[in-house]
Amino acid sequence: MKRGEFIRLTTGMAAAAPLLHACEGKKAGAATAIPGKIVGASAAAGHLLRDRAFNAPGEFEPKDVVIIGAGVSGLSAARYLMQHGVSDMVVLDLEGQPGGNAASGGNAFSKYPWGAHYVPVPNNNLTEYLSFLEEAKVITGYDGAGLPVYDEFYLCHDPEERLYINGHWQEGLVPNFGLNAAQLAEFRQFFTLINHYKNLKGADGLEAFSIPVDMSSRDESLRALDRMTMKEWMDSRHLTGEYIRWYVDYCTRDDFGTPLDLVSAWAGIHYFASRKGKAANAAYNDVLTWEHGNGFLIDALRKDLDGRVVTGALATSVKVGPEGVKIGYLDVATRQVKGLEARHCIMAVPQFVAARLLGDTERGKTVTGHFHYTPWMVANLTVKDLHERAGQPASWDNVIYGSPSLGYVDATHQQVQQQKYRRNLTYYLPLTYAPPGIARKEAYHAEHAFWSEKVLSDLQRVHPDIREQTERIDIMLWGHAMVQPRPGMIHGDLRQALSESIGTGIHFAHTDLAGVSIFEEGFYQGLKAAKKILKQT
Amino acid sequence: MKNTAGRNSAQWVLLVAVFIIATCGLIYELVAGTLASYLLGDSVTQFSIIIGVYLFSMGIGSYLSRFFNDHLLEWFIRIELLVGLVGGFSAILLFFVFPLAVSFQPVLYALVGVTGTLVGIEIPLLLRILKDKVEFAELVSRVFTYDYIGALLASLIFPLVFVPYLGLIRTSLFFGLLNVGVGLYLCRYFAGEVRGVRVIRFGGVMILIAEVAAFIFSEQIMSFSETLAYNDHVVYSTSTPYQRIVITKNRHDLRLYLNNNLQFSSADEYRYHEALVHPAMGASGMPRNVLILGGGDGLAAREILKYKSVKNIQLVDLDPVMTKLFTEQDILSEINKHSLKDPRVTVTNADAFIWLKENKKQFDCVVIDFPDPSGFSVGKLYTTAFYRLLKTAMTPHAVAVVQSTSPFVAPKSFWCVNETLKASGFQTIPYHNYVPSFGEWGYIMACIPDDFHLPVTFPIEKKYISAAVMEQMLQFPDDMLAHEPLEVNKLNNQALVNYFEKEWGKYLEQ
Repeated sequence: MKRGEFIRLTTGMAAAAPLLHACEGKKAGAATAIPGKIVGASAAAGHLLRDRAFNAPGEFEPKDVVIIGAGVSGLSAARYLMQHGVSDMVVLDLEGQPGGNAASGGNAFSKYPWGAHYVPVPNNNLTEYLSFLEEAKVITGYDGAGLPVYDEFYLCHDPEERLYINGHWQEGLVPNFGLNAAQLAEFRQFFTLINHYKNLKGADGLEAFSIPVDMSSRDESLRALDRMTMKEWMDSRHLTGEYIRWYVDYCTRDDFGTPLDLVSAWAGIHYFASRKGKAANAAYNDVLTWEHGNGFLIDALRKDLDGRVVTGALATSVKVGPEGVKIGYLDVATRQVKGLEARHCIMAVPQFVAARLLGDTERGKTVTGHFHYTPWMVANLTVKDLHERAGQPASWDNVIYGSPSLGYVDATHQQVQQQKYRRNLTYYLPLTYAPPGIARKEAYHAEHAFWSEKVLSDLQRVHPDIREQTERIDIMLWGHAMVQPRPGMIHGDLRQALSESIGTGIHFAHTDLAGVSIFEEGFYQGLKAAKKILKQT
Repeated sequence: MKNTAGRNSAQWVLLVAVFIIATCGLIYELVAGTLASYLLGDSVTQFSIIIGVYLFSMGIGSYLSRFFNDHLLEWFIRIELLVGLVGGFSAILLFFVFPLAVSFQPVLYALVGVTGTLVGIEIPLLLRILKDKVEFAELVSRVFTYDYIGALLASLIFPLVFVPYLGLIRTSLFFGLLNVGVGLYLCRYFAGEVRGVRVIRFGGVMILIAEVAAFIFSEQIMSFSETLAYNDHVVYSTSTPYQRIVITKNRHDLRLYLNNNLQFSSADEYRYHEALVHPAMGASGMPRNVLILGGGDGLAAREILKYKSVKNIQLVDLDPVMTKLFTEQDILSEINKHSLKDPRVTVTNADAFIWLKENKKQFDCVVIDFPDPSGFSVGKLYTTAFYRLLKTAMTPHAVAVVQSTSPFVAPKSFWCVNETLKASGFQTIPYHNYVPSFGEWGYIMACIPDDFHLPVTFPIEKKYISAAVMEQMLQFPDDMLAHEPLEVNKLNNQALVNYFEKEWGKYLEQ
C-alpha cells in the first residue's frame, strides 16, 4: 500500500481521524496560549501507522463473527448478537476507546463528549431501541397509558437552550428576540408546513418521515423532495428571510454537518418532521443527555461485551476466502499484524474505508464520487465563572446567531450539586466553509493555537472575559465526521446497492448507509446486520 | 495681548467649558436624585426636592460670584476642579454615608447644595471673563445657549447610556474626570494668564489620579459599601466559596444574613425553628435518627436535641465556614445552645443532593432547611428528583418537613413545593405561622401516604408551639392560596424558580 493511500485510509476511519494530529500545539503564541492539545490516539502510534507498510498476517485465529468499528453501529450489532447467543465474537477499533462519533473524555470536574452529545425523546414505534433504553435504565418504566417514563436525571435539565441574538440571550433556539411581525410569520408558516409533514402518510400507507429513514414512505411526491436542496425548497415556499434561513441552516449543520444550500430538502424536513416521541414525563422535542453525551449510551451498548472489544486495533484488509472471511489488523500496542478468520464480518465503518479494506476500487470510486463527509472540529474548554450578557442565564445548549459554530453545550449542566468549581464547555464547529476535501486538508494543517483562537474569538462576543477564564482547551478533529445527505442520497439507489451483503459473509452497517448520522440510524444499522447473520444460523 | 484670532479661540475654549460644566452639573444632580430614590424610595419627592435644592444653590452661587473680583480665570479653573472633585465622588460618598449617617438627607442635600453653588458661581464668572472680549448681547446668548444644550445632553445620555452601562458610581466619576480634565486643559491653554498655575495644576492632577483609581476599583468599592448597607452594626462578615456570611447585632437582636438574605433574627427565630421542627418530630413518634439538610446554624439541631428519644442527628450543610462559625464562635453557639458540639450531632459538609444520592442510611425524621429557591442551582433541591431520593432516606413511618418560603408573598411557589412533594409520592401537610422578622412563613410536612397523625402534645421545653397553635397553623386564608393549577417542579422545567422569581420580584418592587 502506498503511503499516501495509507494516510487517507487512517484519516478516513471515523474514530481514527485525530490520530495523525495528536501532536501538541507547540507554536502557540506565548503570551495568549491557553494550555491544551489536539487529542486522539497517541502520537507515537499515529506515526508508526503512517510510516510502516504491513505484511499479510501469518495465521488466522478463528472467530464466529468479527465486527470492524466500535461505533454505535458496530456495538449495537455486537450487543444484539450477544443477546441472541453469539458470543465467539470480536469488535475491532483503531482508537484507544470505543464509541466512534460518540467518543467522550473527562477531567476532574466532569466527563465530557467529543462528539454526539444527546438523543431526542425516541419515537414510540422503535421497540428495540426502547428496550435498549430500558436496559440502560434510561427508561425507568411505563405509565398507565403505556408511555415510557424517563429517568429525570437524564432528561435535559432546565434551562435547556438559549440563543444570543440582537445583543441578548433569548430562551430557545428559534429566533424571536428583535424580529418583526413579518419575520415571525415566516417561522409560523415554516412550522405549519413541518406539522403537515409530521402527520403525513404516503400513498403506500407509510409515514412520510420516519426513523430509521428506510421506514419512510417511498411515495413519489415525497421522493421528489430528495431531488432538490433545502434552500430550493424554502425558496419555493418564499421562506427567504434572513432569520428563518439562518435557523434552518443551523439545524441542518447541527444534525447533518451540511449547510442549507447543499442538504437535500427531504433530509432537511426529516430533521424537523420525524420526531414524534411521546413520553409520560417529557415532550417530543425534549432531549436525553449525559455529562459525557452519548458516551453514556456507548457504555450501555458494550456493558455485556466483556473482553470482546479490542481497541488499538487497525483493520488492514478484509478478504473473502473459501472458509469464510479473512481479516488482517495491526495491534498498535504490540506492533504486530494479526489475522482473524470469521464466518461473518460486519464492516461497521464508513463506506470509503470499507472499499479500501476490501481492495474494491470500483466500490471506492462510487463512494468517492457520491459520498461527501463533513470534517468537524470539537473543542472542550475548562472554564471558571464567565461574564454573562443580558437575558436568559447559562443553559445546556448555548448558540450564537450568525456564528459559523454551533455554539457550546455545558457538560456539567446535568450535575446536581450547588457549587461547580469549573465547567467543561464542548464547542462544535462543522467545517462547511469549503468543500469537505479542502476543509479537511486545512484542518489537519492547523495547529492548536489556531483552533484555540478560533474558538475564543467566537465566544468572546458572548463572554468578553473568556480568554482570562479559560484554563484549558483540547481540540478534536474529525476528518470524516458524518456523511452529507445531499439530494439523491436518501432516495437514490446507491445506499441500497452498497448496503447489500457480499456473499454470505460480509455485511455492512454504518450511518452513511442510512444517509443521516443520528444515533437511532446507527443502532438499527447494527441490528439489521446482526439479524442477517442470525437468519443464517 | 493676543491677536484677534487667539482671542476668538480663547472664547470658544471657554464656551466649550461652559457646555461641559452644564452637562456635568446636571449629571451630578441626576445621580443624587437617582441614588436618593434607590435608597429612600418615593422618587417623585426625591427628584422634586433635589432639583429645587440644586437650582436654588445655583442662585446662591450666582450671588456669591460678586465677591470674586480679581484673578477671575484662576478662580474659574479652581472651581472647575472643585466641581470635579465633589461631583466625581458624590455617588461613592452617598453610598457610604447611607448606612452610617443618622440621617442621610442632610448629607444628600448638602452635597447637592455644594455642587449647585459651585456651578452657580461658574456662569457669572465666565460672563465677566468674556465681557471684554465679546459684545454683550452675543455673549449672553452664547453662554446660555451652551449651558442649556449641555443640560439637554446630560438629561438624555444619563438614563440611556450611563446608568445602564456604567452604573451610578462610575458615571459620577466619569463626569468628575471630565470636569477635572477641562480644568487642566484651561490651565495649559491660559498658562500665561494664570498665576500660581503650578499649584492649581498639581491639585488637578491629584484629583485626576484619585478619580481614575476610584473608577478602576469601583466594583470593590461598591461591594464594600454594600456590606455597610445593613441596619445594624456588622459584627462579622466573610465570603466563603459558597456564600457571603454577614452577622449584625444591635441592642435587641443578632441577625444572620447569607448573600444579603436574612436567615434569622435571634429575637424571633424560636418561632421559625419550633414551627419547623416540632410538628414533624412529634408526628414521627419516637425518632432516634434524625437528618437535617441545610441548617448549618445549628438552630434546628438545638430543637431536635430536646427529644430524649434522639440518639443521632446527621447534619449535612454545604459550607464548612458556616458550621465552624456556629460551633466555635461563642456569640453564635450561645444561640444554638452549643448544639453542634453535642456528641449526638454529626456534622458533614457536603452537597445535599450528592450526599443523598450516595447515602444508604434511613432516618426517622428529616428536617430540610435550604435557602429559598431563588436560582436554578438551589431550585434543584426542590425537584421531584430530589424528593424521590429523599424517600429512600426515610424509614416507613418517617416524617420530613421542608421550609417552603412565604405562602403570603409567594403562594404559587409554596403550593408548587406541595404539588412537587405529592407528585413524588408523599402525603403532605402544609402549614404556616408568623415570624415577625420574616413575615408569614410556610412549611410542608411529607410522609408515606395514609400514615400520618398530627401530634396532640409537645412534651418539650418551648416558647411558641402547642396543640392549639398547631391547629391554627393548618388554616390557610384565601390570600395564601394559589388560585390556579400549578406545575410540578422538575429538573427539566424548574417551574418553582420561575414562580419564585416572579412572586418575590413583584413583592420587592413595592
